[in-house]
Amino acid sequence: MESLILVIVFLPLLTALGIKIISKIVNELLINFLTINSALLSFTIALGMFALLLTNKFEPMHLEFFTWIPSPEILFEFTLDGLSGIMMLLVTGLSVVIQVFSTSYMSNDENYSKYFIYFNVFVFSMLLLVMSGNFLVMFFGWELVGLSSYLLISFWSKKQSAAKAGNKAFILNRIGDFGFLIGLMLTLNTFGTFNYEKVFSEVLNGNLASLDIIVVCFIIGAFGKSAQFPLFSWLPDAMEGPTPASALIHAATMVTAGVFMLVRISPILQFSETGKLIIITAGLLTALIAAFSAINQDDIKKVLAYSTISQLGFMFIAIGSGAYVAAIFHLVTHAFFKALLFLGAGAVIHEMHHEQNIHKMGNLKTKMPITAAMMGIGTLAISGIPPLAGFWSKDEILASTFANGGVFYGYWALSLLAAFMTAFYMGRHWLLIFHKETGNDISEVHEAPKAMVRPLVILGIFSFFIGFINTPFFHGLEKVLEETLHYVEITHLPEGITLIVLALISIGAGFTGLLLAYLIYIVDIISYFKIKIPLQEEIKELSSNTLYLNKLGEIIFVKGMKSFSRKTAVVIDGLLIDGLVNKVSTVFYNSSKRISRSQNGLVRSYVVYFGFFMLLLIGLFIATPWILN
Amino acid sequence: MIEVSTDWYLTLAAVLFSIGFIGMMIRKNALIMFMCIELMLNSVNLTFITASKHFGTIEGQISVFFVLVVAAAEVVVGLAIIVSIFKKQSSASVDLLRTSRG
Repeated sequence: MESLILVIVFLPLLTALGIKIISKIVNELLINFLTINSALLSFTIALGMFALLLTNKFEPMHLEFFTWIPSPEILFEFTLDGLSGIMMLLVTGLSVVIQVFSTSYMSNDENYSKYFIYFNVFVFSMLLLVMSGNFLVMFFGWELVGLSSYLLISFWSKKQSAAKAGNKAFILNRIGDFGFLIGLMLTLNTFGTFNYEKVFSEVLNGNLASLDIIVVCFIIGAFGKSAQFPLFSWLPDAMEGPTPASALIHAATMVTAGVFMLVRISPILQFSETGKLIIITAGLLTALIAAFSAINQDDIKKVLAYSTISQLGFMFIAIGSGAYVAAIFHLVTHAFFKALLFLGAGAVIHEMHHEQNIHKMGNLKTKMPITAAMMGIGTLAISGIPPLAGFWSKDEILASTFANGGVFYGYWALSLLAAFMTAFYMGRHWLLIFHKETGNDISEVHEAPKAMVRPLVILGIFSFFIGFINTPFFHGLEKVLEETLHYVEITHLPEGITLIVLALISIGAGFTGLLLAYLIYIVDIISYFKIKIPLQEEIKELSSNTLYLNKLGEIIFVKGMKSFSRKTAVVIDGLLIDGLVNKVSTVFYNSSKRISRSQNGLVRSYVVYFGFFMLLLIGLFIATPWILN
Repeated sequence: MIEVSTDWYLTLAAVLFSIGFIGMMIRKNALIMFMCIELMLNSVNLTFITASKHFGTIEGQISVFFVLVVAAAEVVVGLAIIVSIFKKQSSASVDLLRTSRG
């Protein structure tokens, strides 16, 4: 049965190859047929495998495909346990839904087949990443994921901004990958193996040598891939890619790879207080900065991009407070409602003829009722309104943070603030697009085609109900992950009345955020009551420019690097290296010029040299025996 | 009567060789230099024969024949070169031939 893992992982790759081969001779319909059926097949097998896991009480399955490197022995191996099972279902399931959506969204694109090739390559890489059995295989998938993300961001590469965004994403990801790579080397050096279980058992047996540095390296890797502070600025730019690709890659799956990886190494991570502190600090910063930036974005996709970053921040907060199950839970629910929101945004963009400015929309609910309703579900879900999915997972994160006590009360308060802002900007987003009467001409807008609406409805249903997989009354996900996190100390939810009060507070924050958005953007209380907000314009500017962090990064890294490299080019390369080489050649040139003067062309002086050296030679013959004796 | 010993022959050869060599160094006429070379060759021949007589062996005399043959061949080539130099610059001075200077 284990070999079915191979089928799940490699089927998308084969599909990509198949599309490549047939793309020249067939039309879009056949490509659709091939790619969607293969995705469905993967999903079905994945469901079957998950059921098998369930009957085995989530006992991990291993598959050793082949020996990759003989010495030190590194196998190309796969692991299927609760954690990778969940991710596998998520990736294959969302891949089906989003590909159906894509068939409509991408139709008549000149590179239609290329899109699906990249898409399938991405699914393959992501599956390789999550089902990997050791760190090296994971890194392999990790890099491939980065590559396919790059290809999809710069899919419309004729647009300068898309090409640049692709580069930016790739380069910022490389910084994280660098950390991951160093972590890999240190792991091999310390433990002599890459296999998860062997490494973990070494650590659990007390081999804690250079643990902190290894963990920090992996954390840097996770920050790059999951767009955490300070490596997050690539994700808003990544919105240049096709919207369905953004939905799958830059919202639902790829960006959660960092979270997945940190949960995967949680047996190591739990011993590193430094690592946890870094994670929770960065998570908080990211959640707050991104939520603040989302408030004043005008691009329909950029709001969602910042929202994604902010939600990823929540997952990191969960990991930092030791609530690994809550992190994965939020990962799952977020994947559904964020995919829903992105696809909804895609439907809107499609119907608005690629207009992305939310101020040019308004009152679209009359024209696109189903999309509006589904986006509404997504908005409520992300805002944490019960009983939708986001409430359960976000509340679990907040409550687990609170349960740690001490300084974590402060973290809890800040996370609550981020949750409040989430509700506020998502409320603004939905209201400005679907509700506000703006007087913009929307007579041309229709409901999206069926191939777009149906995936929205499916995701809407999931966004509604997926939260019930792990409630305080039914610990479904916790049971799934129990075997994976067997040796890991998990922060548990507080008991009884505390939990209820915390839940009420977070619901309150969600409702207040939504209400405030309604009051400000629809009722317009600010101008009605003539409220003067101090520094209003400045705050708006700060928000729409992400606290100028992007510019700061540009000044420090881009400009700084440019001037630094220009200086090195002049001083080190020009003066030192070139100077040295030129000096050597001048010395040889000058000295040979001097010596060549002795070659004066006069035969008679050669005769003199000849005679002189003959005499010298004879003198030597005479002198040698005398000297030797 | 004074016995003419091997030393005398060798001294004569050395003197002839030195004269030839000094001539090479101080004269610039190609023809004279050529004659100096011949002088040096013959002083060497004289040394060979002296050695041959002194040790009572035949090899020295054989060598002399080789040297003579080579010298004869050299004369043919050398004179031809000198004639063509003379034709070119209407003088046999070697100092005018400085095209190979560095």
